[in-house]
Amino acid sequence: MNPSPVEAARPRLGTLLLRRGALLAFAAILLVFALGAPNFLAPGNLANVLAQSAILGILAFGLTTVIVGGGSNVLSGGLDLSVAANLGLSAAVYATLDNAGYGAFAGIGLTLATGLAVGLLNGLVVVGFRLPPLLATLASMNLVAGLELVLTENTVLPSASPLLEWLAFGVWLGVPALAWVLLGVAALLILLIDCTPFGLRLYAVGEYPEAAHAAGIAVRRHVFASYLISGLCGSLAAFCSAAWFSGSTTGSGEMLLSVVAIAFLGTIFSRRLRPSIGGTLLATLLVGFMINGFQLLNISSFWVNGLQGVLILLVVALSGLSRKEP
Amino acid sequence: MSAAETPPQAVVLELRGIVKRFGATRALDGASLRVRRGSVHGLVGENGAGKSTLIKVLAGIHRPDAGSLLVDGRAHAHFDPRQVERLGIRFIHQERLLPAGFTVDEALFFGQERRLGPWLDRRAQRREAERLLEHWFGLRLPAGALVGELSSAEQQVLQIVRALIVKPRVLVFDEPSVALVRSEVERLLCIVRRLRDEGLAIVYISHYLQEIEALCDRVTVLRNGRDVAEVDPRATSPERIARLMVNREVGELYPKSAPAPGAPLLEVRGLGRGRAYRDIDLRVRRGEVVGLTGLVGSGAKELLKSLFGLAPPDTGEVRLDGRPLALRTPRQAVAEGIALLPEERRRQGVALDLSVQENVTLAALPRFSRFGLLSRRAERRETLGLIERLRIKSAGPQATVRQLSGGNQQKVALAKWFARRSSLYLLDEPSVGIDIGAKAEIYRLIGELAREGAGVLILSSDLPELLGLCERIHVMHRGRIAARFEAGEADSDKLLAVATGAVAQQETSVHESIPG
Repeated sequence: MNPSPVEAARPRLGTLLLRRGALLAFAAILLVFALGAPNFLAPGNLANVLAQSAILGILAFGLTTVIVGGGSNVLSGGLDLSVAANLGLSAAVYATLDNAGYGAFAGIGLTLATGLAVGLLNGLVVVGFRLPPLLATLASMNLVAGLELVLTENTVLPSASPLLEWLAFGVWLGVPALAWVLLGVAALLILLIDCTPFGLRLYAVGEYPEAAHAAGIAVRRHVFASYLISGLCGSLAAFCSAAWFSGSTTGSGEMLLSVVAIAFLGTIFSRRLRPSIGGTLLATLLVGFMINGFQLLNISSFWVNGLQGVLILLVVALSGLSRKEP
Repeated sequence: MSAAETPPQAVVLELRGIVKRFGATRALDGASLRVRRGSVHGLVGENGAGKSTLIKVLAGIHRPDAGSLLVDGRAHAHFDPRQVERLGIRFIHQERLLPAGFTVDEALFFGQERRLGPWLDRRAQRREAERLLEHWFGLRLPAGALVGELSSAEQQVLQIVRALIVKPRVLVFDEPSVALVRSEVERLLCIVRRLRDEGLAIVYISHYLQEIEALCDRVTVLRNGRDVAEVDPRATSPERIARLMVNREVGELYPKSAPAPGAPLLEVRGLGRGRAYRDIDLRVRRGEVVGLTGLVGSGAKELLKSLFGLAPPDTGEVRLDGRPLALRTPRQAVAEGIALLPEERRRQGVALDLSVQENVTLAALPRFSRFGLLSRRAERRETLGLIERLRIKSAGPQATVRQLSGGNQQKVALAKWFARRSSLYLLDEPSVGIDIGAKAEIYRLIGELAREGAGVLILSSDLPELLGLCERIHVMHRGRIAARFEAGEADSDKLLAVATGAVAQQETSVHESIPG
């Protein structure tokens, strides 16, 4: 004669709306653009959107991994605000090394190491000192952005290595290299997070740390790993960025908001409304198509920012609704 | 069942003279436990007796300061969690520690995944989950069902299956029945017996002595960090076990309540809310303890919520001290001097991460502030007074409530309203999940409240508790008050008969002699 059993909860209206609605909305947006702009659905244009989305997408994958491992609570969960700044620093490192005449391997290796080092720093601060990720990565973002300024003196460092050439102009099966990079990184991370024990444990660690601990999972090691992956994503995106802009650029930090928006938007594309690489890929493409569609329709791209803001609010509000206890 | 106790079986697990200190306090002071193969070994003790510390030592979470752990006669100085798992000791935790957003097979296998090379073998996991659930429990769950969509009992089953996957030799159940209703408890007991018959050694921790009596072959009683007795529960009365636990008579579990109730405090007439309840008439006078009970869905819980301003009623009237009251929010209710002790103690009753002092003064902060500034001294004085009066066992006013035992958390939740000087107390399952010693204290406090002129309305499904405490008991069935009983004219069977609808409505009971 103790507390009543929990009633089996049915998926609530908000949840259903989100699950079905997100894909419908995606399709509707594509349809509107297709009708409004004749070349929108041309294969060349679609491939172009994929390539343009590579930078934001790869950064968002990193952030998504961190959110999976830290929990999707925006304030106390996993968050890596340093991804965009990491890209800036990594690109600057690559351009500097390339211009200084280092070989391809040294350049690529040290750039990846830069990204990993940023991830290591975040991991140490979040896992080692137990600082809230929001503050910890805000601090590391500033640190990393500062280092980039020291290195570049706030100028553009042009660079044109064979790797960048290939990334910028390479085409395979009619699809540009950057698009392949985006899909390749997505595929690797989907394999890692959806198909290995590590991924399952990462989800457990993120949303249910106590359960994970009780199951004998090394919680802190998994969280640490998620920041390393995010750091690596930062430097991978740096190659794409350096290829796109033919060198390092200033102001990479401005991408941060879009990256955060995409990662959270991604949750509505997953069946269980949780962060996932697949969902983030769809969200990346949605934002990419919107930017592209607006360009084709001659609408100012400033509107895209506004629309992203509205989408974030919508996602946060709806997921709040669907999670609320009756 | 009797076959299991005849041959003396091998001791699988033995803890000898375990000592564990936390700062100055000795949580364990030489506790021992011997568990045999193919037997269920009960572990009982008051909150604070050291049960959970002992379990945590066994689980490798705490490192003992002295003592030894023997598995199959081989001694270990201490365990680490991985080692415990390798030795085949598994735990079914009290709190359902399963990820709500995971599917059934993910929840069963996370941390102990089936692999195919480097990959997760989801198909094998699904197949095996199905097989295990069917084999052990005859249970079929819809494919892809999420843990959060299952009932408490089903989640409990998942925890057990999770532990069985690695073919354990010792299973430790830590208060497994707390979240289950009676029929589910029966099922749980059957399952435990079956596991025992398969040769497992089982440690079963419970507050419910009936369960211990029905299930266990041996029971160890812990008191003050020591094992004070090991007895055969079938040959020992629950009263004697309870006495061993608390080392005092528990006969006076229920206080003698105030003899002469005063003026009417709460008057409810014709209250109704949608399909939840209707035509509710109810009176609580000052100095009176009134009971309310009913099955899930009877509307009793909603009624209590309405009286606290949650879920406002659509019809009828509520008077407090003779004044009509339109309760629409809990804020109003608190301002009127109404206090609610919610059933969900850990979520709604206390703020777990705040200190005892912060919890106690939370509802009455204006009393402790001058010119808008809080006087820590006044807060501290009040808290110390209440800690003493309610006998809250804690490291002091600054101790975090999370560190307290369930019974002491409940006392803190109650102290909050004491500090507010509330006059009407609505208690929702006040003794759920707390041990017999703490129960007696809570009951004593309820009696004290009544003597001081407060009115108390208790919603409980623990019928002996209502019979022991209340002057009048209202039984709800399908949204109506199906019967009222005066103290002394009711017993558990009568109450249950009305609550389940086995007896037709007897709306006008013998005494409806309340003035007004």
